[in-house]
Amino acid sequence: MSDEKIIQIRNLTKIYENGVEIRAIDNVDMDIETGEFLAIVGPSGSGKSTLLHQIALLDTPTSGTILLKGEDTTKMSDKQRSRMRNEELGFIFQYHHLLPDFNALENVMIPLLIKGIRRSEAKKVALQLLEEVGLIDRADHRTNQLSGGQNQRVAIARALVNRPSIVIGDEPTGNLDTKNSDSIYELLRHLNREHKQTFILVTHDLSMAAKTDRIITLVDGKIAEDSRNVSPT
Amino acid sequence: MIAGVFAMFEVDIAFRHIRSRRRQTMFSVMAVALAVAIIIISMSMMSGFMKTIIDVTVENQPHITVSPKEGEDYIYLYHGFEDYVLGQEGVVAVSSYYEGEAALQYRHNVEGAMLLGVNPEDEDRLMNVTGDMVAGDFNSLTGSGSRIILGSKLARNLDVDIGDTVTAKFPGSDPTDFKITGIFQTGTPVDETLAYANLRRVQDFYGQSDIITGMDIRLSDIYEAENHAEVIDRETGYDATSWMELNSEILNLIATQEQFVYIFYVMIFAISGFGIANTLIMIVMEKVAEIGILLAMGTSRRSILFIFLLEAGILGLAGVIIGSVLGYISDIVLLSYSIPVPPDIYFGMDHLPLLIVPKNFIIAGLFAMAINMIAGLFPARRASKMDPVEAIHSV
Ligand SMILES: Nc1ncnc2c1ncn2[C@@H]1O[C@H](COP(=O)(O)OP(=O)(O)OP(=O)(O)O)[C@@H](O)[C@H]1O
Ligand SMILES: [Mg+2]
Repeated sequence: MSDEKIIQIRNLTKIYENGVEIRAIDNVDMDIETGEFLAIVGPSGSGKSTLLHQIALLDTPTSGTILLKGEDTTKMSDKQRSRMRNEELGFIFQYHHLLPDFNALENVMIPLLIKGIRRSEAKKVALQLLEEVGLIDRADHRTNQLSGGQNQRVAIARALVNRPSIVIGDEPTGNLDTKNSDSIYELLRHLNREHKQTFILVTHDLSMAAKTDRIITLVDGKIAEDSRNVSPT
Repeated sequence: MIAGVFAMFEVDIAFRHIRSRRRQTMFSVMAVALAVAIIIISMSMMSGFMKTIIDVTVENQPHITVSPKEGEDYIYLYHGFEDYVLGQEGVVAVSSYYEGEAALQYRHNVEGAMLLGVNPEDEDRLMNVTGDMVAGDFNSLTGSGSRIILGSKLARNLDVDIGDTVTAKFPGSDPTDFKITGIFQTGTPVDETLAYANLRRVQDFYGQSDIITGMDIRLSDIYEAENHAEVIDRETGYDATSWMELNSEILNLIATQEQFVYIFYVMIFAISGFGIANTLIMIVMEKVAEIGILLAMGTSRRSILFIFLLEAGILGLAGVIIGSVLGYISDIVLLSYSIPVPPDIYFGMDHLPLLIVPKNFIIAGLFAMAINMIAGLFPARRASKMDPVEAIHSV
């Protein structure tokens, strides 16, 4: 059944070295199945963000391997990694990080344009995504004309616009109030069921984590607990 | 294909960056434009200067001068040689001459002169002496009797005019009377020494048979002179010298000066290049987070490099276009004002020589673009090497 394991992590270690040696990720093994909706929790400084950056190919590990869809990403060229980031991975940050010079629609179009899709076609797809996150009427607004929750929805649309097989969120609702947080969570859960995408979310919100399929707890760069939620909502 | 390039998102991003720093990009574009304009004007002056010198030189000199074989003083059977040279492609005119020194006397005035015996028709075809005549007729030399045509200064020094008779003297020759039938003026030093007479009479004066001391050649293309001279040298053994060889000193001087000027061009462009580099560094610093995001969304490092090189290219190209137009307009204005210059410093030119050559615009443009791209390389590489995580969280 290894076909279903979309992410396979083996002996993953990330050491930061500036003066003192910090083992942010310490010899981690982890398998994630296609379509899983997974939460990573743990105390501050336990290595959650570091792990996500390795999986999202935003950083390179000190040692160990990460296989995405069966391919060893540590052996890839920059061009292959870029393509993978563009087409297979969607990243949602805690802060929306939308480009301030572009409006909502243009921001969502960027991953499509990077992929080489024609502008007219990209516009159509991006509008559809804005529709899905409920912001079709704000397409020509810039970040400073949108609320925090709205900006985060645009960022989600941008992360999902290429229909990546893996969506990664580093505290995607960390900056939002409970009401906004809940509705974003519902949105992600809905997209996960709709498109069979794999979601990996880091969260401090235990009530939110409780609604996922599986919770991995990191402590000091190691997996302290890996539990399956039998009755997620 | 072109439309495809313009549709690329890299181009879109590059233009947005430039627009986001309008004032600064305008200044750096103007710096490049100014550099290009200054260099184009300077190159136009150099080209005009060069052309004027070559024109003056070539107009007053044969394109090739043939001297006797080594160790000999004369060219003996020159008629066949004349036919051989005339038969060559690109040869327009040939003039054989006998050149000797003589003292010219008129009453109590005596002047040393270069007595040049020529066939007037040939010499006229070669040097267009008729065009330099200020009195009399050059072709009068064909007439009977001993006739002579003097340079204007020589005539003034002897205090003679048309119709007077001067006596030519040379050790070992019989003093001979020559009647003055014309006076010429070229504006060069030969006006003070040169005297033309019929070839036959000059040969007689020196007690020689039908031999010559040299032959001058005129070509349709002056830049073929060196090749022609070499062929004549090789095939006949006579010593053929091109005008370039004859004027190698001044031509080398100009070439050296040109090299020196190019160093200044590089320096001027380098200054404008710093403007471009500075603008790009500012943009890169301001857009660190954006670069991080673009990398995170799958833009390759190569694309990031391309975006910023493109910006350097766009700024540079704008500068080159504006600078070329500015340079062209300045050239036209300078030409129309005909700026006066002191002739004793400028080889007898009385106004600033200026020549608008398309090649100069191309050289200045390519030169500027090359330096701008090099200037853009440093910030572009810095942008492309960013760590996306660090970049994204830099704000
Ligand atoms: N660029 C870096 N250089 C040096 N050390 C780093 C760097 N990034 C992270 N670390 C260290 O690695 C460890 C793990 O950091 P990480 O950001 O992954 O923690 P986290 O679990 O995401 O914490 P939080 O919940 O506060 O976001 C920490 O000790 C942190 O100080
Ligand atoms: Mg973190």
